[in-house]
Amino acid sequence: MTSISPLNNVHLVGDHGNFKNKNPDEIINIKELKNFKIFQIVKFKKNKKNINDYKLSGLDFPDKLKVSKNKDARILWMGPNNWLIISSSSNLFQEISKNLSNVEFAITDLSHSKAIIELSGKSVREVLKKGCPINFNDINKNESINSIFNGIAITLDFINDKPDKIRVMCLRSLGESLYHSITDASLEFGYKAI
Amino acid sequence: MLYIKCPHCGLRSQNEFAYGGDASVKRPELNKEISDQEWDEFVYLRKSPRGKHLELWHHVSGCRQWIKVLRDTSTHEIFNTYKSEEKVG
Repeated sequence: MTSISPLNNVHLVGDHGNFKNKNPDEIINIKELKNFKIFQIVKFKKNKKNINDYKLSGLDFPDKLKVSKNKDARILWMGPNNWLIISSSSNLFQEISKNLSNVEFAITDLSHSKAIIELSGKSVREVLKKGCPINFNDINKNESINSIFNGIAITLDFINDKPDKIRVMCLRSLGESLYHSITDASLEFGYKAI
Repeated sequence: MLYIKCPHCGLRSQNEFAYGGDASVKRPELNKEISDQEWDEFVYLRKSPRGKHLELWHHVSGCRQWIKVLRDTSTHEIFNTYKSEEKVG
């Protein structure tokens, strides 16, 4: 089955906005991430075991606002007893089934229901500040946060800093709107869609 | 704009929340016989106080948890926030 990425119609590769006479490291790089396996994992209330007793892809389930990671996967804290795992491994579901029982956890495949935009560059936080009300000065590498961008519910995953690399996720159906909002906000800095 | 301290996520903008009504209203006990008037009061009648008011808010664009907020309806000052299961003294 062929899958069409959520931003297939809007992500136009090339340089845009105020990019002329700027060093390549000054402009923002915008990339659509696709073909990731994404699962939501919710621990049932009746499951009284400690979450630290479980591991997935060799990773612990992180504490609030934190991310645990290895080279293939990232587990994001989404709320109390609620995590999102994003992985490039194609057999993630088999691994989840092996490690987590479906009577202890609710497991939902969201692989085709999320749009993911990855922003990197010096001014990424300035772009996101335009539409998102959180205090970006308080957030560090390997933390994640749920918030809104111009009214669209998003999840931010802070992959790296100096320079910043941040993934922005939203529902697939809102992906094009979010992409337009983010690229509009990026025009003044200049951006390269890759 | 209000800033609400979510007990799970920390200080966040009101834009991430949805108001959920009076947190002091209690649903009648299950399987207990109640009059139409009591049911009517539970469903429709709300106080509209000026001053401290315990409210439910939903952190809909954050951790998606319901929380309780003790807020002054005239000054909008927020005194405290609680998890939904916490008892408010």
